[in-house]
Amino acid sequence: MTNATLKKTFSIERMALLMRNRAFEDFPSIAIVAGILAGINLLSILIVGKAVMNDPDGQSWTFTISLAGLILAGSAFKGMHDGRSGTDWLLLPATSLEKYAAALVSYLILLPVAAAIGATGLSAILSLIELIAGGQGGRILNPIQAFGFTGWVDFATGALVLAAGSATFRKRALIKTLGVVTVSVLVASGLLFIAFIGVRSVQGLPVPFVRLSDGGWNINGDMSMKASPALDTLLNIVRYAFVPLFALLYGYFRVAEKEARDEVQ
Amino acid sequence: MVKIQSMTFGYGKRPLFEGLDLRLEPGSVFGLLGLNGAGKTSLLKLLAGALSPQSGSISVFGAEPRLREAAFLADTVFVPEDPWLPAIKPSAWLERYAVFRPAFNRKAFLELSREFALDDDKLLTRYSYGQRKKFALAAALSSGSRLILLDEPTNGLDIPSKSQFRRALASSADADRIIVVSTHQVRDLERLIDPAVIVHGGKILFSLGSEMIAERLGSGHVRELGPDVVYAEKDRVGYSVLLKRSADDSGSGEIQTADLELVFNAAIAAPWRLEAALRGEALRPLDPADAANAPQAADQVSSGAAKTYAEEVSK
Repeated sequence: MTNATLKKTFSIERMALLMRNRAFEDFPSIAIVAGILAGINLLSILIVGKAVMNDPDGQSWTFTISLAGLILAGSAFKGMHDGRSGTDWLLLPATSLEKYAAALVSYLILLPVAAAIGATGLSAILSLIELIAGGQGGRILNPIQAFGFTGWVDFATGALVLAAGSATFRKRALIKTLGVVTVSVLVASGLLFIAFIGVRSVQGLPVPFVRLSDGGWNINGDMSMKASPALDTLLNIVRYAFVPLFALLYGYFRVAEKEARDEVQ
Repeated sequence: MVKIQSMTFGYGKRPLFEGLDLRLEPGSVFGLLGLNGAGKTSLLKLLAGALSPQSGSISVFGAEPRLREAAFLADTVFVPEDPWLPAIKPSAWLERYAVFRPAFNRKAFLELSREFALDDDKLLTRYSYGQRKKFALAAALSSGSRLILLDEPTNGLDIPSKSQFRRALASSADADRIIVVSTHQVRDLERLIDPAVIVHGGKILFSLGSEMIAERLGSGHVRELGPDVVYAEKDRVGYSVLLKRSADDSGSGEIQTADLELVFNAAIAAPWRLEAALRGEALRPLDPADAANAPQAADQVSSGAAKTYAEEVSK
């Protein structure tokens, strides 16, 4: 780092240093989780002759990587709220934008990529062990197929929302954020349902009997009813544009406006 | 230069500072003195950018702390009373955290670490309170920053470390740098602090340079209160007193250099008398009943009066 770098409003070098520090901080917990997963799979090879996570579609690995990423994103800004380390976090010579961007790039891009590569390696080793143990070898994870673009978009949206929650809540951020999301979804669904009933009553149709059945909505015994394409588009805009954008901006402003007020003055 | 103008800050509805003005020029070690809860730590955090003023402005070498720009953050260092350190070894700390400060002087840091006898092979989280403090102070004094903010730096330091810290602080003070030390342990640092800035009732009550104190005030121990006593603290055998110097006693051996702790207690307990003494005005003889039994008692008795005085000063 040079004095010239210091004058930059946004420095890639500072962001890279912040990302490197995050990687150092997170590595021990990621290594422990990897160790536990390897242990579970080795045990399953010993007991049932098959690595339990080397399933045909690789979903176990994808699910585990996503869960780890979401948990880490949900505690991305924990240090900022801490009564003792918070002041140091705020006063580390990097801008709020760099600190925020470093966390997001770490958990939305680097972690899934690195974890997918690591999981592929682990999957291959387990497959080899399974073969040596006399099994069929199972399916080695394909890191590109592990996520897929839509899978990654879903993961990234969730990670953004949880990161914004971590920037907002001081304690139990993950649970509180999930609570807020659940309440928001319920309220939105309720409003949509009220609107649906409203539309039907305008059309002179009776108030429907609605229940969740066989994984779909059963409305007056009709399971073929679907939202109109316009409503589908609107919901997709909310889900893939409004929610991530709102979470992105809200999280940033929480970080930028954070003060060391939690400590006793 | 640090410039605070008409700054208001508080927690919730309770204002801590109202219309505070302060100007700190480079080349000095400012001692920030005040009672518990006077806002010393908050003032340091406001200068560091960890807190934002509700109104008014703060400027540090032309930068606005609340914006927390990288250049400002690298030019400012704040050491809290109980510093937090990550669970890594000192060498890793240098690689991961010191790199954010281009002016960080590794050689000076390693020298100070050696002087403070800090263990290189220990995790920083395994350090004792005093060791953590020494590590944070070594890092701050080697940071190359122009604004160094130290909150109670001598708390938790053993006696040799206090003198090592004083030496390090004295050698770190240069013409371009502003060092602000908030402390209750004024005797630990009284030869370094110049000027002493006394905060009370949301205002700067006094800003006293060492030259002014040496010229106009002195300390002593007397059995009876004389006419030049500004402030007195009763003990078993008499009174520890802060005295007003007159022109003819400047070389007198009986009057010692003013004790900064007595000056502080006088500023809080009897601000009018201290101001009159500094102006060289005649003082009304101090009634023995007005002599404080202990500084703590003086704090309690006088905070209301000093607040009124602070309000008057601001007018």
